Amino acid sequence: MKLKQSFLIALTLLFLALITWEIYWRSQGYYPTIDDNKALWAAQRSKVEFLTSEDVILTGSSRVQFDIQLDVFENITGKRPLQLAVPGSSPLPIFHDIVNNTEFNGTIIVGVTPPLFFSTTYPKAEPWHRAQSKVEHYHGRTFAERLNHQLSLPLQSNLVMMSGHEEKSDENIDLKGLLRNIKFKKRTPGPAYPPFFEFGDVSIDRNVRMSEQCATDTVFANKIKNAWKFILTSEGPPPDKNSTTNYFAKDAKKFTDRGGNLILVRCPSSGMFYGGEKQFFSRETFFDSLANVTKARAYHYEDYEQLKSIDCCPEWSHLSAENADIFTKELVNIMLEDGAITNSKTK
Amino acid sequence: MLFNSLSFVVFLVIVLALYYSKLFTWTNKKRMLLLASYLFYAMWNPPLILLLWISTVVDWSAGKRLAIEENQRKRKLWLLLSMSINLGFLAFFKYGDFLLENFVTIVNSLGFEFEANPMGILLPMGISFYTFQTMSYTIDMYKKKTKRAKTFLDFALYVTFFPQLVAGPIVRAKELITQFYEPKKATSNQFLWGLFLLTLGLFQKVVMADSLLAETSDTVFDSTQLIHGIDAWVGTLAFSGQIFFDFAGYSTCAIGIALMLGFVLPDNFRYPYASLGFSDLWKRWHITLSSWLKDYLYIPLGGNRHGITKMYVALMVTMLLGGLWHGAAWTFVVWGGLHGTYLILERLQRKYLPFKITKWNGIFLAFITFSCVNITWTFFRAPDFPKAWNMIKSMFYMQTDGINVIETFDIIKVCTVVGILFLCHWFMRNTSVKEVAQKASPVFLGIVWAIMVFALCIAQGSGEQFIYFQF
Repeated sequence: MKLKQSFLIALTLLFLALITWEIYWRSQGYYPTIDDNKALWAAQRSKVEFLTSEDVILTGSSRVQFDIQLDVFENITGKRPLQLAVPGSSPLPIFHDIVNNTEFNGTIIVGVTPPLFFSTTYPKAEPWHRAQSKVEHYHGRTFAERLNHQLSLPLQSNLVMMSGHEEKSDENIDLKGLLRNIKFKKRTPGPAYPPFFEFGDVSIDRNVRMSEQCATDTVFANKIKNAWKFILTSEGPPPDKNSTTNYFAKDAKKFTDRGGNLILVRCPSSGMFYGGEKQFFSRETFFDSLANVTKARAYHYEDYEQLKSIDCCPEWSHLSAENADIFTKELVNIMLEDGAITNSKTK
Repeated sequence: MLFNSLSFVVFLVIVLALYYSKLFTWTNKKRMLLLASYLFYAMWNPPLILLLWISTVVDWSAGKRLAIEENQRKRKLWLLLSMSINLGFLAFFKYGDFLLENFVTIVNSLGFEFEANPMGILLPMGISFYTFQTMSYTIDMYKKKTKRAKTFLDFALYVTFFPQLVAGPIVRAKELITQFYEPKKATSNQFLWGLFLLTLGLFQKVVMADSLLAETSDTVFDSTQLIHGIDAWVGTLAFSGQIFFDFAGYSTCAIGIALMLGFVLPDNFRYPYASLGFSDLWKRWHITLSSWLKDYLYIPLGGNRHGITKMYVALMVTMLLGGLWHGAAWTFVVWGGLHGTYLILERLQRKYLPFKITKWNGIFLAFITFSCVNITWTFFRAPDFPKAWNMIKSMFYMQTDGINVIETFDIIKVCTVVGILFLCHWFMRNTSVKEVAQKASPVFLGIVWAIMVFALCIAQGSGEQFIYFQF
């Protein structure tokens, strides 16, 4: 066997094929992105052990990730919050984990997206499971998994072909994702899920900014709206206000009893999301009630003209990067004025 | 650490660089390999290295005594010590919860009210493999079939050698320890062939098993509803392909990595889905486990030396325990029982309905064998008996109102991949990858190699664990 010859041929062909592959996907508008996967979340979660009472943790669902910008927050207060929100999930499992498995007694800002926050406490339900699986990964991750994550970051940051996504998305260009996009006649019951695309860019510390395409291209934004429309009009279980509130209130009490500062934030929405949330999750019954039960400081964007007037939202649920900067600045200033958070720059 | 991970790439490059550097003597190279093997294991769960150490020290001590001890009673005691420690580890860590669960069921069925919480014991990765490997050394020492390892370092490296530590091949002492005595260095051809095998193994695991088949298999077997017959068959076929690519892929990687270091590990798979009957299957599927079970269980149980009935009993006991080796659940026992039944029926057929296998009926016979094997996989993969039984009923159209859970493309994809897999096994059954590669032109081999690595790169495996790690 002339294996040296075969090896050199393989190496040359591989090099050419990978370059072609990378150039092709870049020409299609793709650019390298970091995957907001469980390993990235766990890397942030591990930092909680080293936080002081001066620090801030953000948790909730995607609205907190898109709407509260870490750079702006840090510029104003001198403290960079730790982003632990998980898209499409209930914040309850993560808040429970921080309260019960750490000694943290700083500030936790919890984003309240009513359809997710008040969804369920059933462990197998998607909003719960999605967040809980991140918590479980953090507690069970091996040294090899930690190293794999660190090694994968430079690849993800520089190569489109390595920017896979843990969540199923129609723009995934890994082999599984490409195969998933081959559609034949549908044979499973139920309507077909509309295509869904990533519309935020993630940084290593999990700050998310809405992509330029989503903010400016209405055709693209409409595709995301279609997915939301599908979710909003699908039959699902009714909200479980009592269980979720009680579960959260118990942890909230434990947290505040040890000196923790709990803040609830309701980020803006528009269009069908706004309508649905207003109709099925009235503010008085859900958000205000939660604030009363937990006795936490609560900020609803509709209470503040400077927040309410921000143009929301290209795809009904999240702010564009530019508006997220404004929202963060205004929200942080309001909180500082209230004394809800402190400014370590002026201390 | 998983072979299909970035950390392993870095680990392997460092190990190879140190191994082929002129920094170390042969003894120090072996020490380096041993430390690397412990690191390889510790990257998963460091405290469980203790079990490896205990197993190593116990069997080394037992082997040392057995080499000089002539008193039969004392020899037996040393053997018992080794077996009770190794099997004790297995019983506690692998079967602890299973035994407790069955104990509770029996006690309750006798009318006593008793409840016990599962112990939630963590299953140490690869425990079934390394315990069987160390036991084989002590048993062979007891039977005076092998010589004592020359040094503790050689023995420890035999137990812990990282390419085959967590999922085999299960190597006998005489096959591996002796290779550690003299300095080993792969020739450039051996090294490149090892690299090719590593690529092939990773391709089987990441591309074929994880990217092409796993999702369909998971969808079908995780479905809680009654499913359509086509979906049941396709899901089972997908698992059939997945488990082959997953496990054979691991073995191929292990053989390749060892070869890059200059060591030769035995074959573990020889195109099993083209087997002509079930005796043939077990000479082709997980060969090192089959031969272990044959030598250390079937033959000690009497084998074929005490008449037909006793032989059938020995065969069935071996297969039932072989099933249990794969997992602590009754579904695995049934899987083993079905294989035991197939083997007995095959022997009866050979005796009462013999026929000659020709090239014309061969592929048909292979297809029948493959189909029967697929039925056993439903018990192997299903999480419980109700699910397995529902799958069987759907597969044989005993229930016709099942729903569709997979899409048309999944059916096409799985049937194409598994169809090609079956035909490849058929055409390759009397040859080997190496023979085929030797006949192929270097250009063709280079193209195939490049395609495999390219597919690996675009598959971007997220490091799914090899199925056999859990065994």
